[in-house]
Amino acid sequence: MTIGAPILEVEVLVIGLFVLMVEAFFERIDKRTLAFAAIFGLAAVLAASFFLAPAPTDVATTGFWSFYTADLLAIFFKRFALVTTILVLVMMVDYAPVVRQSVHGTTHQSGLGEFFALPIFTCVGLMWMASAIDFVMIFVSLELVTMSFYVLVSFTRRNPATLEAGVKYLILSALSTGFLVYGITWIFGVTGETNLARVTAVLADPALESGPALFGMVLVLVALGFKIAAVPFQMWVPDVYQGAPTPVTAFLSVGSKAAGFVVLLRVLQPFFMMPQMVKALTIIALLTLLYGNLAALPQTNLKRLLAYSSIAHAGYLLIGVVSFAGEAVAYYLVAYLLMTLLSFAVLVVVANQTGDNIEDFSGLAKRSPFLAFAMLVAMASLAGVPFTAGFLGKFYIFDAALRQHQTTLVVVGVITVACGFYYYLKVVRAMYWDGSSIDAPVPVSRLSRVTMTAMMVAIVVLGVYPQPILNALK
Amino acid sequence: MLRDYVPLLLHIGVAIGFAVSALLMSVLLGKAGRRTRVKDTAYECGMVPQGETQPRFSVKFYLVAMLFILFDLEIVFMYPWAVVYKEMIVESKLVLWSMLSFVTILMIGYVYALKKGALDWKR
Repeated sequence: MTIGAPILEVEVLVIGLFVLMVEAFFERIDKRTLAFAAIFGLAAVLAASFFLAPAPTDVATTGFWSFYTADLLAIFFKRFALVTTILVLVMMVDYAPVVRQSVHGTTHQSGLGEFFALPIFTCVGLMWMASAIDFVMIFVSLELVTMSFYVLVSFTRRNPATLEAGVKYLILSALSTGFLVYGITWIFGVTGETNLARVTAVLADPALESGPALFGMVLVLVALGFKIAAVPFQMWVPDVYQGAPTPVTAFLSVGSKAAGFVVLLRVLQPFFMMPQMVKALTIIALLTLLYGNLAALPQTNLKRLLAYSSIAHAGYLLIGVVSFAGEAVAYYLVAYLLMTLLSFAVLVVVANQTGDNIEDFSGLAKRSPFLAFAMLVAMASLAGVPFTAGFLGKFYIFDAALRQHQTTLVVVGVITVACGFYYYLKVVRAMYWDGSSIDAPVPVSRLSRVTMTAMMVAIVVLGVYPQPILNALK
Repeated sequence: MLRDYVPLLLHIGVAIGFAVSALLMSVLLGKAGRRTRVKDTAYECGMVPQGETQPRFSVKFYLVAMLFILFDLEIVFMYPWAVVYKEMIVESKLVLWSMLSFVTILMIGYVYALKKGALDWKR
């Protein structure tokens, strides 16, 4: 039995609406059941994605569905979005006590249902975005993602830091959306088309004046740079990441970034003929690598450290984009998903007991050997220790860059990796070498224990056997 | 191509020039009146002003206004839909189902707002 690709998004949307309706009509039930139901539903959709009808080989450029594609890249990122959302929901269940404390409401469970429903709507947006091949569709799905993030980022609004994060994210995100729309109008003004394939066809004409289109593309690049947190559009990242509820930070750093990159890969195709674009992206990649890694060095708060680390990883991913290596970028994103979500999952559990500073992790190896080991695997992978997915991801990226003779990028990339070893291993040192005043063991729920183990296994397995991911795009 | 923009530049120049000269003239020719406490108070239709100039409003106003704009704007989508409906329904039923699903999603949003007491003024 096979199904069409748009059914997947509809299914996820129905799950979201279902959760919202149950939240509205049944006040008495334990709201965490909603999260479990959503996780189960999303897992079913993920399973269904393996029974898709094969996509037609010719890209649709006319007709009603000319905004939508179900090629391998789209299917790959739909699964990516689903896995991310499932893992974030698992984290949110652990985070539920904090939400209860920091949301005003009539009952002690107020706001929990929405906290579980909103990521599902974000997931729908991410899935639409993976398939979008029309500027209008890209814009609409991007808005769906951003709107639900506005609410999620400022969800625990009794906390002043969260409020600050929410306002900053709202204003800067709205500004970047403005850049996106303005860029799209310029491109439309030159080519008269919004469909990416037709834009490519029009731009291939040598008689066409390419200046205005390039200007429009630079504006689009600014908006996408904001989404993927590339320098110089990264100002919002540290404060928003630190202030937002931790599972939302994890979602923001994986989901939002991956969506930015999939749109970047699609949008840049008409424009890679132009050498100016490659030059601009190379400079952005260099700046991102240097800024992200150097600014991460003095951090003492783990959430803030991960924010800068997320900027740094955007730099490595951009090397892949500049080197036209779609597969390497996809593999790196999967590795990034696993190691980032694993570190945030540990952070949520530990922060419930102590706090989210690095010193709160002191002596974690004694308090909870399991959590300390999970964090060790995540940090080793983020730093790029061999036999982890993070190492192989960086290896593929640098390999692709060398093939394109991007020596400067590789040299700077390797130097900044060394830089990364220092700040990631700082966390490991705190966990294994520093003593702690607290001896109480950290409680871990069974669901998170299973999820964390699965992520650890995936990091190590993909680090030595990457073929499943590489084959998924062939 | 750039020459087409000359009238536009001229227009902008005239607009700025007019505004600047009007302000300048009023400063040069006009007389500055005496300032008193009563003159500096907020103008309220000739009545004696009460309370602050910028009082705090209940957030409920914003909530109701937002909900109104939301559901009001959705109607706009239905006009072009209704115009092309007759021609498109002949080709396929897609046009009907897409609007029905759109309205269903709206309905769910409305039910949610109602159940959460967003339209309940006393809460």
